[in-house]
Amino acid sequence: MRIKKRHQAGAAKNFITRTQAVKKLQLSLADFRRICIFKGIYPRAPRSAKKANKGSTAPTTFYYTKDIQYLLHEPVIQKFRDHKIFARKLSRALGRGDVSDAKRLDENRPRYKLDRIVKERYPTFLDAVRDLDDSLSMLFLFAAMPASDKISARVTEEAEKLCNQWMAYISRERLLRKVFVSIKGVYYEAEVKGQEVVWLVPFRFPQNVPADVDFRIMLTFLEFYNTLLQFVLYKLYADAGLVYPPKIDSAKEQGVGGISAYVMESKRDKELSLQASTTATAITESEMESRAQTISTVLSKITNDAAGDANEYPVDNDEDDDEEEATEKLDQFTALPSTDTAISDIIPQPEEMSPEDAIRNLLSPFTFFIGREVSLDIVEFTILSLGGAVISESALDAYLNVDTDAVPDAGEIDFDARQREVDALLSKVTHQVCDRPALASRAPGRIYVQPQWIFDSLNRGRLAPVDDYGVGATLPPHLSPWGDGAGYDPEAMGEEEVMEASEEEDEGVEGDEEEVEIEEENLEVEEEEGEEDEALQHQRELESEANGIMYSSTTSKKRKRAGEKPKTSAAEKQAEEEKELRKIMMTNKQKKLYNQMQYGIQKKDYRRDTLKNKKRKLEKNKQHKKRVL
Amino acid sequence: MAKRKIARKKPAADPPATAPGTGNRTNSKLQLVQQRQRATEEDEDNEDGYIDDEAEEVEEDEEDELEDESDLGDYVSEDDEYDHFEGLIDGAISDSESEDEAGDDAAEGDDGENDADEEAAMFGEDDEVVQQEETAEVITNSVSDDDEEDEYLSKYSAASEAESFSSISSGEDDNRVAYHTTGADGKPRPIYHEIDPHYSSDDSDLEDTNTIGNVPLSAYDEYPHIGYDINGKRIMRPATGSALDSLLDSIEVPTGWTGLIDRESGADLKLTQEELELVKKIQLGENAGDVNPYEDTIEWFSSKTEVTPLSAAPEPKRRFVPSKHEAKRIMKIVKAIREGRIVPNKPKVGPEYDQPVYDLWADDLPEQQPHIMHIPAPKMAKPTNDESYNPPEEYLPSEEERDAWNKTDPVDREKDYLPRKFSSLRTVPRYESFIRERFERSLDLYLAPRVRKNKLNIDPDSLLPKLPSPQDLRPFPIKCSVTYRGHKGRVRAISIDPSGLWLATGADDGTVRIWEVLTGREVWNTILDDDEAVQSVEWSPLKGCGILAASAGERVFLCLPPIFDDETETMGQELLAAGWGYAAQPAPTDDINKEPLCKWTKPSTKLAYQGVDVVIVCRKTVKQIAWHRKGDYFTSVSPEGANMAVLVHQISKHNSQSPFRKSKGIIQRALFHPFKPMLYVATQRYVRIYDLSTQSLTKALQPGARWLSSFDIHPQGDNVVTGSYDKRVTWHDLDLSTKPYRTLRYHARAVRDVRFHARLPLFCSASDDGHINVFHGTVYDDLLKNPLLVPLKVLKGHSVVQSLGVLKVTWHPKEAWLFSAGADGTAKLWTS
Repeated sequence: MRIKKRHQAGAAKNFITRTQAVKKLQLSLADFRRICIFKGIYPRAPRSAKKANKGSTAPTTFYYTKDIQYLLHEPVIQKFRDHKIFARKLSRALGRGDVSDAKRLDENRPRYKLDRIVKERYPTFLDAVRDLDDSLSMLFLFAAMPASDKISARVTEEAEKLCNQWMAYISRERLLRKVFVSIKGVYYEAEVKGQEVVWLVPFRFPQNVPADVDFRIMLTFLEFYNTLLQFVLYKLYADAGLVYPPKIDSAKEQGVGGISAYVMESKRDKELSLQASTTATAITESEMESRAQTISTVLSKITNDAAGDANEYPVDNDEDDDEEEATEKLDQFTALPSTDTAISDIIPQPEEMSPEDAIRNLLSPFTFFIGREVSLDIVEFTILSLGGAVISESALDAYLNVDTDAVPDAGEIDFDARQREVDALLSKVTHQVCDRPALASRAPGRIYVQPQWIFDSLNRGRLAPVDDYGVGATLPPHLSPWGDGAGYDPEAMGEEEVMEASEEEDEGVEGDEEEVEIEEENLEVEEEEGEEDEALQHQRELESEANGIMYSSTTSKKRKRAGEKPKTSAAEKQAEEEKELRKIMMTNKQKKLYNQMQYGIQKKDYRRDTLKNKKRKLEKNKQHKKRVL
Repeated sequence: MAKRKIARKKPAADPPATAPGTGNRTNSKLQLVQQRQRATEEDEDNEDGYIDDEAEEVEEDEEDELEDESDLGDYVSEDDEYDHFEGLIDGAISDSESEDEAGDDAAEGDDGENDADEEAAMFGEDDEVVQQEETAEVITNSVSDDDEEDEYLSKYSAASEAESFSSISSGEDDNRVAYHTTGADGKPRPIYHEIDPHYSSDDSDLEDTNTIGNVPLSAYDEYPHIGYDINGKRIMRPATGSALDSLLDSIEVPTGWTGLIDRESGADLKLTQEELELVKKIQLGENAGDVNPYEDTIEWFSSKTEVTPLSAAPEPKRRFVPSKHEAKRIMKIVKAIREGRIVPNKPKVGPEYDQPVYDLWADDLPEQQPHIMHIPAPKMAKPTNDESYNPPEEYLPSEEERDAWNKTDPVDREKDYLPRKFSSLRTVPRYESFIRERFERSLDLYLAPRVRKNKLNIDPDSLLPKLPSPQDLRPFPIKCSVTYRGHKGRVRAISIDPSGLWLATGADDGTVRIWEVLTGREVWNTILDDDEAVQSVEWSPLKGCGILAASAGERVFLCLPPIFDDETETMGQELLAAGWGYAAQPAPTDDINKEPLCKWTKPSTKLAYQGVDVVIVCRKTVKQIAWHRKGDYFTSVSPEGANMAVLVHQISKHNSQSPFRKSKGIIQRALFHPFKPMLYVATQRYVRIYDLSTQSLTKALQPGARWLSSFDIHPQGDNVVTGSYDKRVTWHDLDLSTKPYRTLRYHARAVRDVRFHARLPLFCSASDDGHINVFHGTVYDDLLKNPLLVPLKVLKGHSVVQSLGVLKVTWHPKEAWLFSAGADGTAKLWTS
């Protein structure tokens, strides 16, 4: 028999260190990083690092050897090498002052495409959709970032464009399922092609850019995510019968220029795809920010829209067949939601709908007037995704108060007509979203709510009671639609308190069988003391001491039991005892595992109990205050 | 001959002399030419007396050989060699020259071979000389051909002359010696003729050369001479100027004055202007030779077309016929441009992102299982309630929690944020570390080693072993029904009599008490020792005799408690008294001087009155007593007794013996096998099993504990259970291995005692934590089936006093009842 050599097979062969990988690929470390990000190749933790590292225990990063082999033939790597050559040539040309040469070189710089890699990484469309979370979060971050020396304006614009296209798609198809406003930003969950996609959008403020963040890494990711989202959007739009990329009205885009970036963002969502979806209101709004001339032309369209038949998009007539097709698709795009709203206006019968449809049409009968203090991007996207219509105050302001100095044709604007137009629109408003402590005046027939009402309604799947969300009201807590994660339900408290009360009576009877963690004792004994009858407590203390048991253990036991289910019946007690006995016969390994599990469970329980106690205390304080008042 | 020597020496000793040498060469060249002409005119005209026949012959031979060599290159290569032979007399070769010429004309082929032979015979001289002669010959020939290369040739001819001269002169060494004298060493020393300088010699000026060699001139400072010439004559110091002269000299520096003294002549060394310049050049590191560093370039390879090309290959066709292939390719491109497929200089617009977007997933592949080695990145954790901008109030951290969070290192924090509450959406600020978190996520995605962790999604209860329910294994003790109170110290010993009616206990207060089992009534007590604790109490297994063995201190007491009927009492008395006769006899041991192991004595009257019949006094404290099943023998264990730790006492003969000669360690307990003649002895680490019939060790069990406290033997004898102070209880199956079959660890404190039930499949362990664990332990007759151990009950009742709990347990002989003795001064009966 041949003697097997060490480190010739198994883990030693299957794993390769990063240095070896870089050498094998003949790349610089930076290029290796890029290719790893593009190809989705990641280090592994081998089962035995010592075996993989040929006997050495030095900390090392391992890659799967076959991953690296697979990279060897990657065309993009060749492009990296070409780029290196190009960079050398370019710098040489620039050094010589050969501007024309440099220009020619720059025009022919090696470029690589990532579409093939996207397809490799996500062989099916669903795979791609499943993995959109990180892409979207990254793109939304970059969409909100200012351009700097590290991040070119093109990159942020591109990210913004894609984000808007994504939001346009989600809101048009009404795929939004959950919204959660956290301190980090806004989490959205959409159900796309049956897959849950969750993404996080930062609040629209200038971001704090840490100095030690390496943007090269982020930008490499962004490059891939950009490509991925482009193709995913194309497919999504195509599947929904829409044209991709959606058209941008150049006039409107110019018009946006005058408004602050914050408002502009949401406008652009709209102008990309959503104008007609909210019937006349959306269009008026979008047009409001455009310049006077364009507005006048668009207004005529609006009146058409309002009439209800013409869903035409302002396109020139002398266009090719392709373009016409595009408009057709756009027509479909716009027509659907409007009819939806029409239907839901007539028959608001949520009980007939499936729960999913109920969410899709949750706000469809309503038109929202959004105050200028409300963050428009969040609220507008949510309302539109739920079928509601939106009129924003800031846009109206811009429409009605045209700066005559800035706009050349300001003189031609018929402000009275505009005012009439706006009044007509405002008459349809059912809800006003406002986020200020008090309102000077209230328009009749409107319901005033805070933005959280919309989010909570969506998360619950039905409209939340409006009373709790009135102007200046103390809002009910905004809960995560994904729950607590550790089994604590802040809303289900009422019944348990009743049970606890009954349990406390039983406590005197209980014997001393269980061992209790010490950490719990110290925390909770203090709380208990204030509440109990002192004399009774003293009595108990004496008793337990007489029995040779430390007092704290009895009290804490009591506490612990308060959190758990009451085990009054003898059978249960016996079962518990039997369980303890069976533990004796466990092997060491099983015992360890069991104890680990118990540790996790106890930790969870502990957290839940502390939260419960806190809540109880808070409520007591509240009641106390009420009584005092 | 002397001349030759000098000539040879000169180039090596005096390199600067080359310059004059070159001059010589040119002279010789001219002379050569002249000589040649002469030679053609007058054949074989000997001008020089040096030439003799030998020389002639040499010339001839060489001539023949040289016929073949006609290459000029050879001379060039040998150039250096001949440089050494410069400055030789022209005339010396004139003869050979003429010979050469003659040779040219003469017929060559015929004599060639013969001559060669002759040459080999006649000249033992070195080949080098011959060679040089050859070349010289050829040169002369070529001179005649081409006058332009005069310079080279003259050189070589000169060399050849020198050689011919030397070769000739070598033959007549002796002729030059004038006479011999006796040298300093007593040997004859030749005195040479005065050298007659040849007319062509230019070395004449060196006649009086100083021969002191490396000896410094200063060595001769004291002498009038400065060295010796070639013949050993003194060279006198030249007259030096007076002090005034030297002063004048120092004032008026003459031209060429160096201030140095010529080493050879002793006069002032004067250098010419040229020499000074040379020295200067050497000092500057410049080229001292006569070399022009700025010579004109010679363009060997120029643009000028030479008449004769370097290569004679004909011009290939491709140089002048246009390529059809290229034309084809060009036409293709032209066509493409015309058709618009290629747009030359098309402006490349847009960034890298501007790529055509198309339906990437048009082929609609079926969903596949991902590769087994692929580990997808975990998704970001979903936000929980506490991340809300408006969380329920209980999530908000208290002051302590906030402090704790702030104090912990950011890496160690469970969550990277603290819950905050905002009254409205309007007031929510930006999240400071948004970019950092996204960045860290990116890093995680491409940098974090991934590993597939199988999360055990099982019910923890499923890990518990499947065991029969204790309810099905009844009866076993469940509750404490009787507590025997009365002892004033820790109850250390407990024993139940074979009938199961009387419980004997011994305690630290030195008393032994007997209780009625069912009622808990104390029926008898006695103080065995006022100072010592009662360590062990054991009823004799013999029914109807009522003997109770108890130990306190070094003494073992055999009592007959007066609680039985007369019949029993008399029988017991008989049994105990039977041995007195034996005890009276002298010990049968060989060594009389040896102190007996222990003394069997009668008790004091007080003790006798209380019911003690026999007292056995041992040497060390007896900790444990164990009866043989027949009731005649019992062992006592005194751990400090070294080799006499275990003693076997025989009642019928009042005899004690020690089974071990050597100490086996600290003995913890010794027991007889339930039915075989075997003794089980537990030391701290091992349980050793001795066969008493063969007096040999049969097995040593290794429970793996540090310090055994107790052990017990299963009534069937094949299983042993041990308890140890390090909390372990082990079950040994003697058929399997010396290692335990099961090791259990469930007691919180040291295990004090383990006991098997004599009839029922029960055993228990008692511990310092105050608990008694009762187990079911079935041993199957089927050898392949392992024993079944089932924990049945934890009996809690004894309190822990000074970290001692239950010290001893014993089972009722028939019922599933358990008696326990505790450090709290009570004994308890546990019934089912």
